[in-house]
Amino acid sequence: MTTAEGSGAPKDTAEPLLVLSNITKRFPGVLALDGVDLDVRAGELHVLFGENGAGKSTLINVISGTFPPSSGSFRFAGRDVGELSPSEARTIGISPVFQEFSLVPSLTVEENLFLGRESATGGFLDTRAMRHRARELIDELGFDLDPKARVDRLSRAHQQMAEIAKALLGKVKLLILDEPTASLTERETGRLFELIAKLKSQGVGIIYVSHRMREIRALADRVTVLRDGRHIKTLKAATVTDGELVELMTGRRIDVLFPTITHTPGTPAIEVENLTTADGQVAGVDFVARAGEITGIAGLVGCGKSELVRAIYGIEPVAEGTVRLRGETIEKLDPRSSLRRGVAYFPASRGAEGLALTRPIRENVSMAALDLPRYQRGGVIRQFAERALVKPIMETLKLRPPNIERAVGNLSGGNRQKVMLGRAMARDLDIFLFDEPSVGIDVGAKVEVYEFIKRLVEQGAAVVVVSSELPEVLALSNRLYVMHHGKIAALLEGDQRTEQNVLSSFFEEEKREKAA
Amino acid sequence: MSDVNLAAPADPSTVKAPDEKRSLGTEWLRQLALPIAVLLLLGGFGLADQRILSTYNLLNIAQQTSYLALFAMAQMVVILTRGFDLSLGPTVSMVSVGAALSMAAMGGADANGLLVVVAAILGGFALAGLCGLFNGIVVAFLGVSPLVATLGSMNITLGVATTISGGRPVQGIASSFASFFYTGTVFGLPAPIVIALVVGLVLYVVLSRTVFGRSLYIIGTNPQAAAVAGIPVKRLLVYAYMLCSGLAALGALMMTARTGSGQPNLGGTLSLQSIAAAVVGGTSLAGGRGGVGSAVLGALFITILSNGMNLTRIDGYVQMIVLGAIVILGVVIDRLRLETR
Repeated sequence: MTTAEGSGAPKDTAEPLLVLSNITKRFPGVLALDGVDLDVRAGELHVLFGENGAGKSTLINVISGTFPPSSGSFRFAGRDVGELSPSEARTIGISPVFQEFSLVPSLTVEENLFLGRESATGGFLDTRAMRHRARELIDELGFDLDPKARVDRLSRAHQQMAEIAKALLGKVKLLILDEPTASLTERETGRLFELIAKLKSQGVGIIYVSHRMREIRALADRVTVLRDGRHIKTLKAATVTDGELVELMTGRRIDVLFPTITHTPGTPAIEVENLTTADGQVAGVDFVARAGEITGIAGLVGCGKSELVRAIYGIEPVAEGTVRLRGETIEKLDPRSSLRRGVAYFPASRGAEGLALTRPIRENVSMAALDLPRYQRGGVIRQFAERALVKPIMETLKLRPPNIERAVGNLSGGNRQKVMLGRAMARDLDIFLFDEPSVGIDVGAKVEVYEFIKRLVEQGAAVVVVSSELPEVLALSNRLYVMHHGKIAALLEGDQRTEQNVLSSFFEEEKREKAA
Repeated sequence: MSDVNLAAPADPSTVKAPDEKRSLGTEWLRQLALPIAVLLLLGGFGLADQRILSTYNLLNIAQQTSYLALFAMAQMVVILTRGFDLSLGPTVSMVSVGAALSMAAMGGADANGLLVVVAAILGGFALAGLCGLFNGIVVAFLGVSPLVATLGSMNITLGVATTISGGRPVQGIASSFASFFYTGTVFGLPAPIVIALVVGLVLYVVLSRTVFGRSLYIIGTNPQAAAVAGIPVKRLLVYAYMLCSGLAALGALMMTARTGSGQPNLGGTLSLQSIAAAVVGGTSLAGGRGGVGSAVLGALFITILSNGMNLTRIDGYVQMIVLGAIVILGVVIDRLRLETR
């Protein structure tokens, strides 16, 4: 990749690469950023830390030219920056990687890389040169990514890689990464970290948005904490503790992230035998989840862990195998019958599969329970009953502000997950399938989700937690399945549940596959 | 996952607390824009020609609106689910000849009484129901896009209408039928207006108060989420298309009663006009937004426009240009609305 000229260590004396002072961004009626200062030096990794809605996204959108600040000064590479469009930002070396991908689904990876900046000779696309350059870049990044693959055929992790590659194609001085590891596997994350180290040594400044403490520990030089659109503090990463950061972010103390859960395993609630999904992502899986405990499923992105619970719920077509719920063999799996049998599924992608964003919270909460007589009589919705049922549910879940008539689209990630939890409380359920329950939500909301799961289990429900975040599944689950390439690689119980064991079971399974 | 959206600057999730007052303000403006436009249009034409504001003409507008309002409501039901029905116009033609043929089989113009009316209604609705069932199954279960599915069924229905009528008007409308759907009055109001009012009221309740109606909005807003929440998306889509055809059939019976014969080309440009009325009224082609009020207002707007242009003797071909532009304008406004959201 081409990077900024100049070498080596950041010099504290020179003007930092990026200097924002007193940046304010006002949307009609809302102050999203309130006098924020931020400076990023060349060769520095600067973490932006804050809850959803703290202003991180608005800030990186301002820096990358998506929209201008309402006031404040913006200096980049020693020059004042006036009106900035996204393409101008790229030209001067500001390259953002957003969570929402900017890829065109129907084009290939290489076509996407060169989108809007195609190389051409005499009006004809210079396909060979572009192909060569794409190959070179992807190899240099060490990504396992086929440049000729269509983007819509790629997994989310691979799309993320393509997005990062796209950001690094040009001349980059400041790279902005917004939760880049959210859908990467451990190994890919490792690669990304190596890449970040290399970029830093070449003098690239990096703004890194993440909720993950481990990453902040591993990467950050400095951390800027934002809260409610205001700059709270900028600290040296080496000298700050996790507790301090969380306290600064939330404005309150959070002592323990994971609650202590008492598991009292009872009878099997879900028994899966030799299950294979139609797309082959799950291949011959045996799986048991019991009432009164949390069963975890760990594994890399694309290992089939998510597809397994989706198949149990009935949104992933099953090719063969049996699913038994509370001992009863289920012939036809579909969401409606699953709900009636007391099974709930919380999708990883709440925006795409969970919520109807323009509809009010009330409708989003009741929508999976409208077949029950307490919500309707003869197909006519009992509006007063609905309100009276939904309101206390959202009060229990501490929805802020407690207005159930607001559109879900106006809510932060944490509140959106609360709406999903509320939906599960809207009818009587006792088997809960969580797919990446804490993705995209801040620490405060995470704690509340974990507390919710704890309550469910201690009331005797069967809970399955699928997660790519190892610390999360390790801390929550009583029994932990490890999946690899569609198969169960290991079942870890009791003291066996360690990070080391999970990781080594991947490798053993890998070896076994190679041997076979 | 979707905490950052670079396309929408005002993406509410990046912002703390969206100002409720502001959204209420724009909502008011959005709600009132069309009624104001309708009044301006009426006033403008009134200045050009006094006759337009006469009681007679206003009643005439109301009566004409009731037909288009029914078709706009029909169209709105499927547009809510991100679809539309291009076969609506030919369905109207098919129902018209179907109903006329049923009546002819019962004894035609000589026969009277309720039985003939019932026969016509049954014949008409059976044909429309089949068409809606077909559209719904092709869209929902075979996954064909509404554009292609209803474009295909548009030709099929047109073919059926022409074949069963031999391409000629079918005579023999019973007077009881004409009185039921056209000449009759309730409390002095002409039958078409009464029917449209009753249907509008019932449909309003269905959309806003029933599980079915609620589900249509949710399906239109996010079909995947609807499926995950256990809403029987495919089945309800079929019902939506059947409801659309059913409402179109009712409008067809009313138009047949007015014309006095079964017409194989009665539907004409109604597919486009009904989509235009629904979209101009504020029903979003992206799904999940719209309602009875918007369909009726849209129908009123377009009816006043054509009525005014007729009375001010604007050339028929120029009228076509204006109507076409209106459709596109409606869709553009819809797009702008979505972008600024």
